[in-house]
Amino acid sequence: MLEVESLTTRYGSIAAVREASLAVQVGEVVCLIGPNGAGKTTLLASVAGLLRPAAGRVVFDGVEVTGWSPDRMLRAGLALVPEHRRIFADLSVRENLLVGGVTQRPARRIELLDEVVDLFPVLAGKLPVPAGYLSGGEAQQLAIGRSLMGDPRLLLMDEPALGLAPVLVDVVFDLIGSLRDAGRTLLVVEQNAQRMLEVADRAYVMRSGQIVTEGSANELADRDDLFDTYLGRAGTLA
Amino acid sequence: MSRDPIRHLAVPAIGSALLFTLLVAGGLLYTSFGGLAREGLVTQMFINAIIVLGIQIYVGNTGVLSIGHIGFGSIAGYAFAVCAISPKRKGGQIPDAPWNLAEVDLTPLESGMVAVGLTVIVAFVIGLGLARSGAQSGAVAATVITLALLFVVHEVARNWIDLTRGGKTGLSFSPLGNATLQGRGWVYILLAGSILVARLFRESRTGRLAQAAREDDLAARSMGISPPVQQMVALVLSVAVVSAGSALRVFELGSINPRLFFFDYTLLTLTMLIVGGRSSVSGALAGVVIITAGSELTRQLSGPNVEVAALDWLLREGLTDIFLGGAMLGFMILRPSGLFGDLEVDRWLMRFSRRREIEPDRPPVGAVSKGTLTARGVTVDFGGFRALDGVTIEASTDEIVGLIGPNGAGKTTLLNVVTGLVEPSSGSVEMGPQVLDDTPAHEVARAGVVRTFQNLRLFGGLTVRENLEASRLIAQRHRADRPQPPVAALVVQAGLWELRDRRASQLDYGNARRLELARAAAAAPDFLFLDEPTSGMGDAESVAMIEQVRAMASMVGAGVVVIDHDLNFITGICDRIYVLDQGLLIAAGTPEEVSTDPVVQAAYLGASAPANQ
Amino acid sequence: MIEVVQQVVDGLGRGGIYALIALGIALIFGVMHLVNFAHGELITVGAYTSYWLFNTDLDWWLVTPIVVVVAVLTSVVIEFVAFRWVRGASDFTMLMTSFGVHFVVQALFVMYVSANFRQFPRPGWIFNTVRVGGVSLEVFDLVVVSVTLASLLAVYWLLQRTLFGISLRAAAEDFDAARLMGIRSNRVIRGAFALSGLLAGVAAVFWLMRSGQASPTAGLTPMLKGVLAALIGGLGSLSGAVLGGIVLGLVEVLLISRLPGGIAGLTDGIVFLLIALLFVFRPQGLITVRHAERV
Repeated sequence: MLEVESLTTRYGSIAAVREASLAVQVGEVVCLIGPNGAGKTTLLASVAGLLRPAAGRVVFDGVEVTGWSPDRMLRAGLALVPEHRRIFADLSVRENLLVGGVTQRPARRIELLDEVVDLFPVLAGKLPVPAGYLSGGEAQQLAIGRSLMGDPRLLLMDEPALGLAPVLVDVVFDLIGSLRDAGRTLLVVEQNAQRMLEVADRAYVMRSGQIVTEGSANELADRDDLFDTYLGRAGTLA
Repeated sequence: MSRDPIRHLAVPAIGSALLFTLLVAGGLLYTSFGGLAREGLVTQMFINAIIVLGIQIYVGNTGVLSIGHIGFGSIAGYAFAVCAISPKRKGGQIPDAPWNLAEVDLTPLESGMVAVGLTVIVAFVIGLGLARSGAQSGAVAATVITLALLFVVHEVARNWIDLTRGGKTGLSFSPLGNATLQGRGWVYILLAGSILVARLFRESRTGRLAQAAREDDLAARSMGISPPVQQMVALVLSVAVVSAGSALRVFELGSINPRLFFFDYTLLTLTMLIVGGRSSVSGALAGVVIITAGSELTRQLSGPNVEVAALDWLLREGLTDIFLGGAMLGFMILRPSGLFGDLEVDRWLMRFSRRREIEPDRPPVGAVSKGTLTARGVTVDFGGFRALDGVTIEASTDEIVGLIGPNGAGKTTLLNVVTGLVEPSSGSVEMGPQVLDDTPAHEVARAGVVRTFQNLRLFGGLTVRENLEASRLIAQRHRADRPQPPVAALVVQAGLWELRDRRASQLDYGNARRLELARAAAAAPDFLFLDEPTSGMGDAESVAMIEQVRAMASMVGAGVVVIDHDLNFITGICDRIYVLDQGLLIAAGTPEEVSTDPVVQAAYLGASAPANQ
Repeated sequence: MIEVVQQVVDGLGRGGIYALIALGIALIFGVMHLVNFAHGELITVGAYTSYWLFNTDLDWWLVTPIVVVVAVLTSVVIEFVAFRWVRGASDFTMLMTSFGVHFVVQALFVMYVSANFRQFPRPGWIFNTVRVGGVSLEVFDLVVVSVTLASLLAVYWLLQRTLFGISLRAAAEDFDAARLMGIRSNRVIRGAFALSGLLAGVAAVFWLMRSGQASPTAGLTPMLKGVLAALIGGLGSLSGAVLGGIVLGLVEVLLISRLPGGIAGLTDGIVFLLIALLFVFRPQGLITVRHAERV
């Protein structure tokens, strides 16, 4: 479904992402793990259209979408749940969701709203509540629900467990599990590698802007030297 | 690069003389071809130049947008008029003036001095208000407060009829409102003086510190600069010049009414300043000339003497305002920094005569006096969220300590507590006998704790060396007993010698990071707190940074506390490491101990369901 | 007691107009971070439109919608011609841009219409009073209050119940996140300008009913009042702007009635002074609608 080929994105003169390549098949949950500052968020942002890559290609469902704007990407079927969620605090939960569905026809939008509310029962009771009053976990669910309102075929998630208490981290990973079971295709960036590998199908490890390892989630979870990869000790690859 | 008197006094003085000469010569040339009307126009241009320079001193150096500066002019103008108009005429215009002002009889010079003095006092009060509101470049509050000044003064002038004779007639020096200014003596004196003051202020210590704060208020405070102090000085100086110019303006005109110093004049002066370049004295003057020329041209074109049938739709009253508004719009859209940007005529000339600067040798290592900084039991609550929970760390001036942990662990919060940006809910920060936890950021820096920022905060508009000099100016006054290697040496160490006169905003990322480090070192600190100095760097650059940090620290004799995610870098440079997770200190020890600690590994990779690991 | 009621209604009558203008200003600020000094020009345009239309013997009932439409169009045109180019620029740049637009449009009036005042007829009924429960109230105030209320309700409906309005509020809060949701920035900004034009148009009609004058500076005073009201409410906040307008109207009436005759003319100045003091001690404004913590 998604192919990223040799993507390079710069911040000024620094290459934050260097010739990164990855692929996501329909129905897969793929994760992108690695230490902070590795370029994971930048890579995701480049795919979603927030940043313009300097080199390389992004191909979505066979169509080249490199450099497309975020709203064009959304209409093409790719949605991003951004880092730090960025929900609209002054809007109600329902309004947040509706905004997520701006690109849909009204009838479809109502359908999607029902689907999302079914998926996140905790939001059902809070539809009129201003989003700023939600707890961290609820806000994360709202953010994901909002992105789902765009009816995406591929959902990108940037650090969904960030800043959440351990109990809520469980909720988030359960959620990712449910989405997977429902047949959604996900590409998730996460710092919490251990938990993420439990729910993912495949994983890529990123460090200093490059993809240094890839493999099935089970394989990588069993490796003792994953932490060494984070440290950058030489030769812990393949 | 120590304070070179030639560069700092003689050159600007010569530049001022040059600007004065150019301006006056140009004006005299213009009047030599015309009659009385031209004389009046040129005199008014010189007077406008004085007022615009006054505004430039404040707006240009502090970056605070003071829309209402002309309000000060109104106060000065009225004070001058009330004092200088003869008692006989005052008796006819404002017989019921309060405080027996109708009987006051002062010479124009004395009246001018009263006007300036009074207005400066008002400026001081306004300045206190601005400081209290946290005025900084881009702040809405400052604009509102100064706009209020403009408006309130206008309203008072219109309504306080006993003193000002109101808005319909205003005050005048003689029945026909003839010009009372004899010759241009005072104009030349004040013009020359204003140019000199504006130019010297820009190069002065206060001016340079104000410019640093203009570029980045937070970074300036973290280097020990106290922006409100610099802004107050700039304001007082600025208002003194504006007041003098305004008194002169009233004297030249021979009368005053509230509209003389209201929106129209504000637009005129602001357009002149912006078109020329508000950060530059030369620019301000260029703007005055250009706008005066354009205004005069449009005025003549739209006047009765020019009849071009085909262009009649264009050449009519109002064309001048179209020109002014259009000039403002055009520059804002196309070139917001103005024609001159922040270049000065004399700096440009200096390029040709720059004495060859030799790259200095690296000086020997600074003597290290042992000192310890302790953050004890620090707890920080943000609303319902506990960012730090009873964290204690310690660092000495002869070591490099690391602070690591996953995202959201509280590392930057701890840094903010130590450097005075965040107040802890409980706990203390001490450095020797000094308590730091209840201290504002700039005083923490002056006490010897200086930091860098994760998202680069350089003084973008200033050059590489000016960035360091800003820190050094503070160190020279507040940290005189500490080793202070020459700024040039620090520049060389950072590998920036070739780029020393390049604007900081034009540096590439790696150089920018090294500049941040050098700027912090120039402040002669006891402790350097570095927030992710290798963020965004590749492996090779990170390794190079290890050497960079060691060298800088030893040159100034400072201890280092470094936050970073690049564990390679951290383990390579640190003597000891603290590990935070979710606001708690979970591990401390040498790099070997920490990197093999399973608790640390779990924190980084994420605690899994109890069955694993 | 009677006096108090009369003053309150008077204050609401003024405050309603200010609230409409302030809301328009707050909308633009929310979306573009721009204090629109050119907002008053919409009222000036309304003034001249009224003047021309009255010369064709049209009644106020027909003039009103035309003025509103003209204001909306002018607002959108101004955005297209001037503000479009400075999106994302610094606050300083945008403020000066709006200053520039203000003076250019004002000058255009001087050039192509007239520098002088032009009178046009005011509807007779605005001077009528009506007795309600023993209190004598100006019909005009009552009409203003009801129309303002109706307009605010309509705007409220637009902002709360339509997708366009919700998108506008979302963009006003976090422009980039809104783009991520697929909201088109151009449409949002133009929508904000059109809506603020609508509000200015309605406010203009009432303002002109009272003043009956068209001049190049007709819009200056109402614009300043609107800015003041928006500032009281905390500049970015829409509900704050409305409240700020009402507060401003009430404070004005209070000052005029309480101050000795000589100083009553300083009412505007005093209000401005109070706002300045407010900003010294509370730089974020008086009524800051709760902005929830970013998680």
